[in-house]
Amino acid sequence: MNDTPTASDTVRLLAEQQGLGKALKLFPDGVKAAAERGLRPLGELPKGTTSLNSPAPIFDPAQFERAK
Amino acid sequence: MTDLAYLGVAEGAALIRAKRLSPVEWTRALLDRIAAIDADYNAFLVVTAERALAQAKTAEAEIAKGRWRGPMHGVPYAAKDIFDIEGMATTCHSKIRMNHRAAADAFVVKKLRDAGAVLLGKVALHEFATGGPAFDLPWPPARNPWNRDLHPGGSSSGSGSALAAGMTPAALGTDTGGSVRNPATCCGIVGMKPTYGAISLAGVFPLTYSLDHVGPMTRTVEDNAILFHAIAGHDPHDPTSTRRDTPDCLTELKSGLKGLRIGVVEHFYTEDAAADPDQVRAIGEAAGALQRLGAHVKAIRLSPLSLWTDCNRTIHQAESYAIHEKDVQERPEDFAALTRNRLLPGAFVSSAKYIKAQQLRAALCREFAEAMRDLDAVITLSSLLLPCRIDDPAAIAKTYDQQCRLVFNVTGTPAISVPTGFTASGIPLAMQIAGRAFGEPMVYRIAQGYCEATGFAGKRPPIRLPERAAARV
Repeated sequence: MNDTPTASDTVRLLAEQQGLGKALKLFPDGVKAAAERGLRPLGELPKGTTSLNSPAPIFDPAQFERAK
Repeated sequence: MTDLAYLGVAEGAALIRAKRLSPVEWTRALLDRIAAIDADYNAFLVVTAERALAQAKTAEAEIAKGRWRGPMHGVPYAAKDIFDIEGMATTCHSKIRMNHRAAADAFVVKKLRDAGAVLLGKVALHEFATGGPAFDLPWPPARNPWNRDLHPGGSSSGSGSALAAGMTPAALGTDTGGSVRNPATCCGIVGMKPTYGAISLAGVFPLTYSLDHVGPMTRTVEDNAILFHAIAGHDPHDPTSTRRDTPDCLTELKSGLKGLRIGVVEHFYTEDAAADPDQVRAIGEAAGALQRLGAHVKAIRLSPLSLWTDCNRTIHQAESYAIHEKDVQERPEDFAALTRNRLLPGAFVSSAKYIKAQQLRAALCREFAEAMRDLDAVITLSSLLLPCRIDDPAAIAKTYDQQCRLVFNVTGTPAISVPTGFTASGIPLAMQIAGRAFGEPMVYRIAQGYCEATGFAGKRPPIRLPERAAARV
């Protein structure tokens, strides 16, 4: 007997973890396609960019003072 | 006699100021036209006729007393139904928001009210600015006035449709991955996505916080610059709003193109993705026209289009899912299928992927800024393909990423869609002109020079009026 989970088992597990039980029941193909799209890896970062680079949005604590 | 249906903002404002045109007469003519033809185009979700006439009467009375507020005074406009207007529902074209009531005006709506503009109504969009032309919602999708069977572009579909059909001279749209420029492209009008932070997002239902932009939509470049000026400016209630003064886009608007340096991002549509031959031909001719007008035009290279698409879509999926998570979990059947299919992938985007997309965004922004160091602007295609049939969801899903607009949502820099001609069957073609951050004056200047020379902007689709209405409108 093979205990390896199938792709659809994996999608179901992931979807249920995300609270998408209802969507999975009503729109199983849509959820499967969404999982494939969402889980697809990002393209390669440009040369010189690594995981140590700061992301685009810069947290600015002074902004909250200005908002008042 | 002035054709009030296709009267533009600049021309109309000049006539109003000179007291040669009554804002009430203009507003009434457009309300009549909407009543006569909008059943064919579904551009409007709500027509605010009483409010419009009251605002037009107030404008007329003020101008009669010599109190002219500026170039939007007495000028009609339409707002995508994603902008809050006090006391009205901001439905976002969704069943989910039908019972909503806005407590206050969006910042830009207030700016236009203060400028004396006349709200004609709220116009259609793709559900939550991300779905598509859906037939499973309480309202039908807006239609393309150039061909009712074709996609009008979106998500600001009603804005594009209403402008092209001569139902309004100005409209507000929003743009996260091209939603102002796509309907501008498909409907043969002018749509500007300004610099991120130039126009407040307060009171606008969000799609993707860090990629959302408000954008002016009109039939001509000059009209667009006027509307931009009316709605731009700092808003203390929007943390993303810039504190810079709004750049003057009108003084140098007609200064010509002589000596300007323009890059062409050709590889997006010649190497990275397949494009429609008519779109490629038209942008090639546009590059030639820019050269004849005195600009120095050269091909430049950026990262492949697929990388920009990955970056935009990952951020978009993650942030939009955060906004809609509860409804997607609890009432997925209340979204249109097209919308649900766009929102669901966000449930599966990991935090690491989202952060990598933000790192990628920073790298791409640096790359674009470097490329712009020796340039005044770049041009590239807007849509790679021609508009598909409006009732073909598979084709619509396929064309979603077949575009170069989302590049400038990633960079946050200004980009305008302007018409570059027509196919043999009369379908509008378009390109984008994009500039540096807060470089709207240069983008408008190039767009104006190009459009003035070619005459493609402001062309009218073949609208057939019902017989009785034709006598009045």
